[in-house]
Amino acid sequence: MTSRQVLVTWISNDDDSDDTETKTVVLRTAGFDARFPNQNQTKHCWQNYVDYFKCIKARGEDFPPCKQFFRAYHSLCPNDYISKWDTQREEGNFPVNLNP
Amino acid sequence: ASFALLTTTFSGVMSFHGVANAGLFLTLGVIGTLTTMGLWWRDCIAEGTFQGHHTKPVQRGLSLGIILFIVSEIFFFLSIFWAFFDSALAPTVELGCAWPPAGIEPIYPFELPLLNTILLLSSGASVTWSHHALIAGDRKGSILGLVVTLIFALIFTGIQAYEYYNAGFTISDGAFGTCFFFSTGFHGAHVIIGSIFLTVALFRLINYHLTNHHHVGYEGAILYWQT
Repeated sequence: MTSRQVLVTWISNDDDSDDTETKTVVLRTAGFDARFPNQNQTKHCWQNYVDYFKCIKARGEDFPPCKQFFRAYHSLCPNDYISKWDTQREEGNFPVNLNP
Repeated sequence: ASFALLTTTFSGVMSFHGVANAGLFLTLGVIGTLTTMGLWWRDCIAEGTFQGHHTKPVQRGLSLGIILFIVSEIFFFLSIFWAFFDSALAPTVELGCAWPPAGIEPIYPFELPLLNTILLLSSGASVTWSHHALIAGDRKGSILGLVVTLIFALIFTGIQAYEYYNAGFTISDGAFGTCFFFSTGFHGAHVIIGSIFLTVALFRLINYHLTNHHHVGYEGAILYWQT
């Protein structure tokens, strides 16, 4: 995954307080995948979604490498896509056979 | 002619939108269009064969018109092929990035469809035989070749109808159904139109309308058939 360290300053909402806090936050997203080199990353998102569910079907939910797909698709995919595909999976309408 | 066509197109759209009695107008429009076509070309034949108006330049003009029309039909089919390749070569995530899409059982191309292909290719050969026989003055060979062509066409149409009846999917079954029925549907319609064109040619051949060097209508039918 591609990650970047960012300095974030938290400012308190109270008007009379001068408290500030500076923390280092690491922001991460899915790394470059040579299978999807162009601007349209829809298939990149979709492939990670499918790979995650095939992974947990084959190896169980606690298998650590599956987490990578999970993080990738949550980073890449619009939430609308994720909820639409989750609904399709529940109703048995998802256009891919997720069994290994 | 334009009145009949206007009626046909307007009532077609009306029937899609569920306007009452649109079906009746659509039928009238189609009958009007077909009648106009029949009468128009009947006049063409009368002017050419019986009144002698089809001199060499006129023949060239008619041939050019037919060729340009066929070219426009080629572009029409090109657009349908474009739609297919665009859908099938890189299927979208909505289709599950797979072609054929999940749940579609495609027709195996190397059974009946292959027979149909062979029938049409053979009909192309037989119509060429008939044409060469006409040019050589062989009346019997020419008629026989054209009859064989039409028999092949009829068998093709029958088998295609059987396939349509027994297909495991419809035109509304996603991009696959649309591509399949658009391409085969318009193709089948053109086969039927071509068969009618060739049948008219057969009738004229039998009734001595055509000579061994003047048969623009027949050549047009052959060009349409082979395209």
